[in-house]
Amino acid sequence: MNKTRRIETTVELVRILVAIGIAYLIALIILYAISDDPVFIIKQFVLGPLSSSRRMGSIINLAIPFTFTGLCFCFMYAVNKFNLAGEGIFMFSGCIVTLTSIYLGKSGFPPVIVIPLLLVVGAFTGFVISLIPAYLDAKLNANIVVVSLMLNSILVFLSIWILKYLMRDPSIGSLGSLPIPESVKFASIFGKFKIQAGIFIAIIAVIVVAIIFYKTVFGYKMRVVGSNPNFAKASGINMMVTIVLAQLIGGSLAGIGGACEILGNYDRFKWVASTQHGFDGLMVAVLARRNPILVPITSLLLAYIRIGADVVNSKGDIPIEFITVIQGIVILLVAAEEFMGGFKKRLIYKAAKDDLKSDKEMVVQEILADDENKIEARKESME
Amino acid sequence: MAQEVLRMDNITKIYDNGFVANKNITFWLNKGEILALVGENGAGKTTLMKVLFGLESPQSGDVYINGEHVKIENTLDAIDKGIGMVHQHFMLLPSLTVAENVALGIEPMKKGLFDFNKAVKMTQEVADKYRFNIDPLSKVEDLSVGQMQKVEIMKVLIRGAKIIIMDEPTAVLTPQETDELFEQLLLLKEGGHSIIFISHKLEEVKRICSRVTVLRHGYCLGSYDLENMNESDISRLMVGRDVVLKIDKEDPKPEEVVVKIKNLVKINETGKKVIDGISLDIRKGEVVGIAGVEGNGQSELSDVLCGMDTFSSGEVRINNQDIAGKTVHEIRQMGLAYIPEDRMRHGCAADLSIKDNIISDRFFLPEYCKGLFMKHKYIDQLVDQYIKDFEIACDDKNQPVRMLSGGNIQKVVVAREFTSGSNFILANQPTRGIDVGAAEMIRKTIVKKSRTEGTATLLISADLNEVLECSDRLLVMRKGKIVAAFPKANEVSEDELGEYMLGIKTMTAKEMENVL
Amino acid sequence: MPMYTLDWFANFGFSVLRLSTPLIFAALAAVISRKAGMLNMALEGMMLTSALAGVILSGFTGSVWIGLIGAIIVGVLSGAIIGFSNLTGKTDLYLTCIAFNLAATGGTVFVMYLLTGEKSTTSAAIRAFSVPSITIPLIDKIPLIGKMISGHNLLTYLAFLSIYMVWFFLYKTRLGLRLRAVGENPKAASSVGINVTKIGYISFLISGILCGLGGAFMSMGWVSFFMKNMTNGRGYIGLSAMNIAAGNPVGSALAAIFFGFSDAFATMIKGRGGDFPTEFIEMIPYVATIAALVVMNIIRMGQKRKIEQGVKQK
Repeated sequence: MNKTRRIETTVELVRILVAIGIAYLIALIILYAISDDPVFIIKQFVLGPLSSSRRMGSIINLAIPFTFTGLCFCFMYAVNKFNLAGEGIFMFSGCIVTLTSIYLGKSGFPPVIVIPLLLVVGAFTGFVISLIPAYLDAKLNANIVVVSLMLNSILVFLSIWILKYLMRDPSIGSLGSLPIPESVKFASIFGKFKIQAGIFIAIIAVIVVAIIFYKTVFGYKMRVVGSNPNFAKASGINMMVTIVLAQLIGGSLAGIGGACEILGNYDRFKWVASTQHGFDGLMVAVLARRNPILVPITSLLLAYIRIGADVVNSKGDIPIEFITVIQGIVILLVAAEEFMGGFKKRLIYKAAKDDLKSDKEMVVQEILADDENKIEARKESME
Repeated sequence: MAQEVLRMDNITKIYDNGFVANKNITFWLNKGEILALVGENGAGKTTLMKVLFGLESPQSGDVYINGEHVKIENTLDAIDKGIGMVHQHFMLLPSLTVAENVALGIEPMKKGLFDFNKAVKMTQEVADKYRFNIDPLSKVEDLSVGQMQKVEIMKVLIRGAKIIIMDEPTAVLTPQETDELFEQLLLLKEGGHSIIFISHKLEEVKRICSRVTVLRHGYCLGSYDLENMNESDISRLMVGRDVVLKIDKEDPKPEEVVVKIKNLVKINETGKKVIDGISLDIRKGEVVGIAGVEGNGQSELSDVLCGMDTFSSGEVRINNQDIAGKTVHEIRQMGLAYIPEDRMRHGCAADLSIKDNIISDRFFLPEYCKGLFMKHKYIDQLVDQYIKDFEIACDDKNQPVRMLSGGNIQKVVVAREFTSGSNFILANQPTRGIDVGAAEMIRKTIVKKSRTEGTATLLISADLNEVLECSDRLLVMRKGKIVAAFPKANEVSEDELGEYMLGIKTMTAKEMENVL
Repeated sequence: MPMYTLDWFANFGFSVLRLSTPLIFAALAAVISRKAGMLNMALEGMMLTSALAGVILSGFTGSVWIGLIGAIIVGVLSGAIIGFSNLTGKTDLYLTCIAFNLAATGGTVFVMYLLTGEKSTTSAAIRAFSVPSITIPLIDKIPLIGKMISGHNLLTYLAFLSIYMVWFFLYKTRLGLRLRAVGENPKAASSVGINVTKIGYISFLISGILCGLGGAFMSMGWVSFFMKNMTNGRGYIGLSAMNIAAGNPVGSALAAIFFGFSDAFATMIKGRGGDFPTEFIEMIPYVATIAALVVMNIIRMGQKRKIEQGVKQK
């Protein structure tokens, strides 16, 4: 029994590492194939992110939104609902938070009040938007993936409209909002690394989510509902409320992520297309096997790979998009039950077989000896 | 001289979890006969037929068809060798026509396309030959249950099956449909087909079968000519105990009524009365057992009592509270503890830890949580204690439940339900498929709780050992009704019990009045 | 009112049919998957990759027909990959499709860049090819209807023909029968010896062919270049169309045309200029999709309730 658990845990870890390893390898192969100077490019990809403090800082800065959207999807995944609204929420929340900050900036409230308020606004935005696919799925059984994806597109357009008509800055050339008040922008810390202060909020978020998952009543309900809905019902747990609430919390996290991203990295809202961070969060959550504690780690890993691609892009003119192919492959490998599943099964089976084999042989012998007596006894009693 | 068309010799089948389903079984089927294969649930009939039909392979034993030794690799192989199985749960496609269902897998073709008309013709031929009155063009979803079964039989016949296995065919039929089916079977018999007829209904067995093979607890008690036997004889063979389990117990001192069931009726989606007017009181300090062949309403009764399903009419009160329309949660609050029939589906979450599984019914109580948070230290201590008390063999409380053996998983379920502080325990097949040691412990605890804590227990079980030893009052359920009620379970003979279970005898309402 | 002449209606109708083309292909691809018991969410990525393949192959070989075949082949390959991941690798289908769509979005841009140096569209770099349009003699002389029906791209006619072909395949061929059997009750199908996994693969491959045609239309019919993310949700809209019609091929096609209508409507309003913000117009197809899903499900739940009450009264 002990053997089985050890085998399982080890295989799981190995599986994740192998998946990332394969992804990295494919990336290297692609780079090798298309670059004129493969050795240089590969070196840039693998070591580039560590080449300057600025770059190392950007790994962490990129890991921050990944963490938020990763945590968001952990909640969705925990109750087995593929609510992908995190993508649209991230962008839309950034937009709304910018709008709010611009209007509040004029009001003169101190940043100590305004910044938390903005985070709340972001969270609330995510909460409300996430309600739409969650509710439609719970009450009307409307396909949650389709609804959330359609919603994402709608949110993108809505954000652009708000940018254009409610907060556009006519003085700048490209499309951008009025500047975000200096007072509410997040500081850049750690000197040369230029890490945005949102990192603290991200860290707090991870801790809070981990506590929710493993220490609270709600987290418990969520895990039971996600693991076996029938059992949840038979134990008396209210399914619908748990499932919807989990998605709402997830949405809030994506909302906070959008807020932090804007306040930490930008002077104004300039997004005219979706940031794709929602889908990055999906990958982070899948890699972390739904465990929020692992989310920061997988976020950093993914950020590292991304920054590597960034470096390659700037140094060698190779587009970043190849990373999305890698991402797709990694998700598939990690999520595939059969990937190394066969290997795992064989290990477990072999361990058990040796025990069982001798047992079975014994049993067959016993039966053969026993039956004769039993049948005779019964027949006698019948007469 | 009867010609053997099928012989299964010394078949032994052990499942991967160690459960021995068939022990050294030998039986044979003669040409042109209808052989009854009887035995309680768990006796091994289903496994034996799975072996015959190629769905399982035996550890040892041989199969002979028409005297020739054969090895049946898989279902297609079995079909090839002339074996056909009419499953208890139909393998049909409701939105397609009868012809399409029958022809599926052996579809006639014309110019590369499915020749629907030919399929209709083929189906009509089979229907005519064996006098089935079914329109090949009708959609299966529009047919009655009896007609659907005929389609299943046609599927088997069109592939040339000479040996037909009928698995509990009359379980879902009305009396008229049963008559029709029997006419069919006799026709098939005259046509040279040989039929294995699996059933619990002894009156039917007597009606159309010429011989009977009796299985019990995995081994074969022999095959007998039905000419010389009556239903009581068969029942005596089928029903009985080998291991005489003696639990030391004092007489119960039942007190006030904990559960009151009055005229409970449940009609399912097909319009059938699966619970047909049950009235019963369960008192504090006693164990009421319900014996009966599975499929006579026990599952439905259990689902209704715990709130997983609704009922059509009647009244159920637990601790004097009406359960109508209440959720599972609310009913548990009224005092219910529930050991479900299907422990993997309703009894546990396989991927979660033992600890998480044990507290699933009580985590919200103030004792276990403070505000939003769970009191983990307290819960840890408690669960460790339970693991000790219930002797759950595991690494530790954080081990995922799916890694435990069946018996230990059931111990986790029982650890939860027995410590819930409820005074009504609903136990449905609590020791099915688990090892003897765990089963012993669970049964002893059920009795102990009733005596020392005064819990009222409703024990539904297909295992006679269990139900005779643990129950104080014993009822028998058949076709949704209570057909027998015994005030003292340890004074009932197995033979008598079998007769009531199999419908040979029924008690009148008057006789049962005082006992219910 | 000078605007709403017969000509105007004819043009609008033409537009509807044209814009419905990729949606019909997507919807039919979804129907095949659904009939086999699966929900294929990767239509988006499958069409996108096929669109790129068409442009590249036609550009480099100089033949639009090779481009078309290339698009179809790529669609089939996509189907094979997804099938392999789900059926053999046992990955959750939703996750597989999401991962595939993600990879396709970025991957197409990457390949486009590699081959042309462009990152947003291929219009500058690759010679434009278009599947020819067909004018139907005689019909095109009919007032109103003629202008609506004649002159469409070959692929548009093919889309409508596909409706019949998918219907025919499902209900008249042996493979179609087996596919429906697997989708309805895989246990029953395997009990008569049908290889459920094989049928699953076949359904993905056929889905791939239809997506290939849909993608080809996007880049060699609707416009004649490949643009980053040009399918823009059409795969999901096609899926919703299938959902609305509960998998019925003809019904799904009709639902797809309804969505094509909303697309044409949005385009028309945009074309009229004026002050109405384009963003809200762009939203129309997506809002329409959600609205259609909601309405359909409300109706279905109402029907279900009626049946349950009906049985109780028995």
